Amino acid sequence: MGIFEAIGIAGSGLTAERVRMDVTAENLANAETTRTANGQPYQRQEVVLTQTGEGGFSGALSGALQQNRPGSPPPGGVEVAGIVSDGTPDQEVYDPGNPEANAQGYVKMPNISTVTENTDLISESQSYQSDVTAMQTAKSMFTTTLGLLK
Amino acid sequence: MALVDSTQQLLEAAMRGSWQRETALTNNIANADTPGYEREEVNFESALQGAMNSGQSAEGIQFQTEVQPEEVGPNGTAVSVDQESTKLAENGLDYQALTQVAGARNSIVTTAIGPA
Repeated sequence: MGIFEAIGIAGSGLTAERVRMDVTAENLANAETTRTANGQPYQRQEVVLTQTGEGGFSGALSGALQQNRPGSPPPGGVEVAGIVSDGTPDQEVYDPGNPEANAQGYVKMPNISTVTENTDLISESQSYQSDVTAMQTAKSMFTTTLGLLK
Repeated sequence: MALVDSTQQLLEAAMRGSWQRETALTNNIANADTPGYEREEVNFESALQGAMNSGQSAEGIQFQTEVQPEEVGPNGTAVSVDQESTKLAENGLDYQALTQVAGARNSIVTTAIGPA
């Protein structure tokens, strides 16, 4: 158990929440994008989070290290496993004046609800703040330990 | 009385336990949005109580970080950020109390030794 482990974990949370905020911002910015590189409307992106140290090389390595140090907690934190497309179908909006409209006058719009994105943004910024609080608590605990040396 | 008596060892062990809980709680908060994540907890008090009751020394005692499966909320995890934050604040104050007592006891020894 490292002294700075808690700070590292809170830091990983900050990174993950920032990525989520970036992706939400991208979704909001592209809420009206009807044409992307593949000619289709923009697809909503979503971030998949995973607990650090569950799989892969780092997980196997730390698992092997754990065997020699029973009782110590597994390495913690959170990481972005990937950014995936939301598979929900596009919305069809009647707008015959739009150059992207089909023969019936319908335009395929991205599957984005600004309400959903905005509520996501609130939850992300709150999680970010919680991580900052956790980091500050760890810092103040460390400072009190340093006080013992006085 | 030894310079580092059993109470001081107990305080030191409790400080370690509190640190470990801090790490677990921070991990819970960092994973508050991770689907399928189960919250972690370090119940160092009961481990220390057990060691005290059995007359075992608190020095070098190891605490377990336990996974606590709980009811999964609508966001797919069993973590309530409010509860974790409350526990984090509580744990921080506990730790502060422990370090203050440990520091006070240290200063008694320092006084006894006299100015170097």
